[in-house]
Amino acid sequence: MVVNSSPQVFLFLSQILGKKIIDLTGRRWGRVSDLVVTTADLYPSVTGVLFIPTGRKTPSRFPWHRITEVGDRLVVHPLAPEDQAEATVAEGELLLKDSLLDKQIVDTQGAKILRVNDLHLLNVNHHLRLVHVDVGLRGLMRRLGLQRAMDKFFQWFLDYHLSDHLIPWRFVQPLSSSDFLRLKITQNRLAQLHPADLADIIEELDVNKRSEVFQSLDVETAAEALEETDPKIQVRLIENLNPARASDIIEEMSPSEAADLLGDLPKEKAEGILKEMEKEMAEDVKELLVHPEEKAGGLMTSSFPTLPPQATVKEALDLLRQQAENLDLIYYLYVADEEGHLLGVTSLRGLLAANPQVSLSDLMDSRIISVGLEEKKEGIATRFAKYGFKGIPVVDEANRIKGVITFKNLLEVVAPQLGK
Amino acid sequence: MPENRSETNTSMGAEKVSRKGFWKTLGIFFALIGPGIITSNVDNDAGGITTYSLAGSEFGLTLLWTLIPITLALIIIQEMCARMGVVSGKGLSALIRERFGAKATFYLMIALFFTNLGNTISEFAGVAASLEIFGVSKYLSVPVSAFFVWWLVVKGSYKSVEKAFLVACLFYISYIISGFLVKPDWVQIKAEFLTPTLHFDPRFLTMAVGVVGTTIAPWMQFYLQSSVVDKGLKAEDYQYARMDVIFGSIIVNVVAFFIIMLCAVTIFQSGIKIETAKDAALALAPLAGKYCTWLFAFGLLNASLFAASILPLSTAYTICEAFGWESSVNRKFGEAPQFYGLYSLMIFLGMGIILFPDIPLISIMFYSQVINGALLPFVLIFMLILVNDRRIMGNYVNGWILNLICFLTIIVLIFLSGAMVYTSLR
Repeated sequence: MVVNSSPQVFLFLSQILGKKIIDLTGRRWGRVSDLVVTTADLYPSVTGVLFIPTGRKTPSRFPWHRITEVGDRLVVHPLAPEDQAEATVAEGELLLKDSLLDKQIVDTQGAKILRVNDLHLLNVNHHLRLVHVDVGLRGLMRRLGLQRAMDKFFQWFLDYHLSDHLIPWRFVQPLSSSDFLRLKITQNRLAQLHPADLADIIEELDVNKRSEVFQSLDVETAAEALEETDPKIQVRLIENLNPARASDIIEEMSPSEAADLLGDLPKEKAEGILKEMEKEMAEDVKELLVHPEEKAGGLMTSSFPTLPPQATVKEALDLLRQQAENLDLIYYLYVADEEGHLLGVTSLRGLLAANPQVSLSDLMDSRIISVGLEEKKEGIATRFAKYGFKGIPVVDEANRIKGVITFKNLLEVVAPQLGK
Repeated sequence: MPENRSETNTSMGAEKVSRKGFWKTLGIFFALIGPGIITSNVDNDAGGITTYSLAGSEFGLTLLWTLIPITLALIIIQEMCARMGVVSGKGLSALIRERFGAKATFYLMIALFFTNLGNTISEFAGVAASLEIFGVSKYLSVPVSAFFVWWLVVKGSYKSVEKAFLVACLFYISYIISGFLVKPDWVQIKAEFLTPTLHFDPRFLTMAVGVVGTTIAPWMQFYLQSSVVDKGLKAEDYQYARMDVIFGSIIVNVVAFFIIMLCAVTIFQSGIKIETAKDAALALAPLAGKYCTWLFAFGLLNASLFAASILPLSTAYTICEAFGWESSVNRKFGEAPQFYGLYSLMIFLGMGIILFPDIPLISIMFYSQVINGALLPFVLIFMLILVNDRRIMGNYVNGWILNLICFLTIIVLIFLSGAMVYTSLR
């Protein structure tokens, strides 16, 4: 890109850093060392310039509006002493070079962690705004001063026009630690990610950043991401939280996931969290904790719908509608008597197709396929494969229903053995 | 993961307290070791074994004492890497990129790529040489081993790769066994080991520099720090990482000790001239028996294969980390194209160059050592700046005593590397 004296529309940070600053009287002030932006806007606008005054080592700061022209050099109105300040950064401000350039960011659209090669700025009416983050090869070459050589090489050798790989700022979540904390309240874009993608990103981050990122998430997002995270990393993340916050997050998880996680935690920590949790959820989780993780009792969830046989289809549908948000499984409704003996099962499809007044005892299928609490994962997997269910009920010796294993729960324990 | 959940619910507080202490410490240590030991063992690669064999067979036991300061320097440098890895949670190339910017990083990575490519070539040369002793042609042994190494990483997962590497570490014992097979005079060895001798003969000095240069190489710092990060060690576990590094650094020099000693008491004493590790292995047969030759050749094969898989892997990791590209053994080829691309390219080039007829092997190995030596000072200076940066290291920065020791070590190493580059280019 040729730098000329006419006002440019797009600029790269690498083209501004190191530029000489000169005022209208021709006096030299120093060289640009960094730019300050305010993050309040969707596209942060540059508010200040950090520069190394000629002959000094530590930077000073002056406001962006003092600049009249951005060309080969930055031309400024003469700087009065009150225009210059110490190079400090206030709340809601971000240093472009210090916290973005060469650092890692999350591209929330592509769900990837990338390293910033350059920053793309838009200059309109003397307002400079950060619009894109450059993560491409061309940006890297620009930093090395080899961009033109590289373009020519690609054109000549491969007949290929190398283009910039830019990510719009609104899909960018910075990760630099100090700024991350400062930004988290106003704009945590990580919540835009699918929980499974967010979990992947958390796993890929380094140990310190991982817990920072996790702590910045709201409770619901944190719980969703945690469910998808590798068990070892789950433990690390929860260990770093205080019991109150940990229990808030765990309450949002499904009971079976929560039990798996608490079972992996050191005993004192798990008990501390259980104490902080809502009583009902804590009871459910404690019951699940008794069973080994690899057997039916440990895989099952206690959050599934049951009704007595005399209930009607209408009641069943009402129950499902009310509870849908909290249930781990809604495709089947289990019919059980007051002591919990499993009598039959109906599918959601069956309920929707049936007359609302029919009682469940007439509709239910009493040829039940269930597994015992001690059933191993292989046996459970075989049954899933044979019958094609989305969930299998777990019963004790007296045929009382204790929980349901969903296909997803099974997949999580079987998947690691499937090979890559 | 607990075997049985009910166990966590019963009270076992009293039991836990008594179990702490020695066994617990030992248990944690074995769970956390790996990075230091693997790195150190890769260090005894084809180039290393060649250098040690030459040192022993040309200068006898006189260079043995240098292993003591080398061990100390290795510990000091690797400890800094392990500490940076544990505290920052980032690899060395990421830290360099974030602290020193794109330009410095780019040229450093280019240099590292070529150094490591040179080293990889010498690893495949080691494979070819060792299997030729068993009568296998290099046109068979090199492609097969290259494919094996490539397949191990591209098709394997991290767990299988690490296990294979740890098993490879065990095979270094073959050198120690060979050392005992020749029944050396331990009293004399002890005396030579503990008394520093220095000849101001250029050949002697070049060899001393070679021994240092082959033991402390630039790629190791990157590899060690990345594997420490990969293990996910926390600052509290740092003491175990340090134990791992010290343990590894000692083991690597024990192996070096036995190679130098073996060649000194056999080849040196009978006055045979050798030029390569293969010559050394073959020269051992009439002096120490054919089993000794076989053990020596087997050790060389193991070391070469081991390093041939780690070096390209480490290079790919390091470069991808610096430029923010996807890098993990657990990804598929399409998900991490740059990573697997770099990895495959290095193996392919390493293999291809060896298979070229009449390739000037000795000069390739030689110039790769020269770039190694030229690159090391830069890496060490970057490291020293990073390890003293409070924004990165917090309270884990070097103390002034450690800084002084590091500084002196680095000065000596820079001087030696400079001397090596100078003498080899003259």
